[in-house]
Amino acid sequence: MSKTTIPTAGLADAAVTTAKITDANITTDKIADDAVTAAKATGLGISEVDNWRLSSSFTSDATPITGWERNDTQFDKIGTGLTHSSGTFSFPSTGIYLITVIFKNSFNGDSRYCEGEIMVTSDNSSYSVRATNSQNIKQTDSTTPVSSSTSCIIDVTNTTNVKFQIRMLVEDNGTTTSGSSTANITHFTSIRLGDT
Amino acid sequence: MPDSNGRPNHIEDALIQIHTNCWFGWTDSKNKIYANLQLNPKIGVNNEIVNNPHSLPTEEVVNAKLKELQDAWDAANGG
Repeated sequence: MSKTTIPTAGLADAAVTTAKITDANITTDKIADDAVTAAKATGLGISEVDNWRLSSSFTSDATPITGWERNDTQFDKIGTGLTHSSGTFSFPSTGIYLITVIFKNSFNGDSRYCEGEIMVTSDNSSYSVRATNSQNIKQTDSTTPVSSSTSCIIDVTNTTNVKFQIRMLVEDNGTTTSGSSTANITHFTSIRLGDT
Repeated sequence: MPDSNGRPNHIEDALIQIHTNCWFGWTDSKNKIYANLQLNPKIGVNNEIVNNPHSLPTEEVVNAKLKELQDAWDAANGG
């Protein structure tokens, strides 16, 4: 009579080697709910999220916009976060990043365009437009506000050379781009989506 | 920021009319009073980051500009 069951005690500690455990032998229902601890789950999920905002309003163009602060009201970044220097943002690590920017403009009159743009460099020198939008203001009140957004996904293959800036171009120098240090008005979010 | 009705009510309303671009900031952005006003060291002009060419206006100049804006708003709104 052949044996169909080997009691656990009958197995030497070194009897079940890694070579004997193939992918097909471990099914999901064999993994206890608490088996995958946080320590074993590194590398999963979103590793970098950051959020910056224009801390004070300004009028006319800003190419690039330099008056940024990291959101510091009921927000905390995930990961290392971006580095900012006078309007230029650097990434903490290589990867694929989604940048989404929201702009608010206002003007006491008509303004044909307010263009918010994301500029990207791959040589830490020359910037090119990688995302743009255009919103016009048709006056409906003494000061008429408008909002717009733009976004792009950047392949950051090198953190020294790949950086970005955000700029605003307006038709009339009296046009305001609105900022605040307590709420997100003109602001952007950066999310690392995955590896490059 | 202006009142909800649009009337200028804060020195930031005046500051953005004194010069264009992101020329000023705050030592404490949660307490935007004149004593905490500072120049941003750099501004972006024509896709170049350059030294800020401006100097801090006096508190009197800022307050006078705010009053000018308020008077203009009041005049335009039946004040």
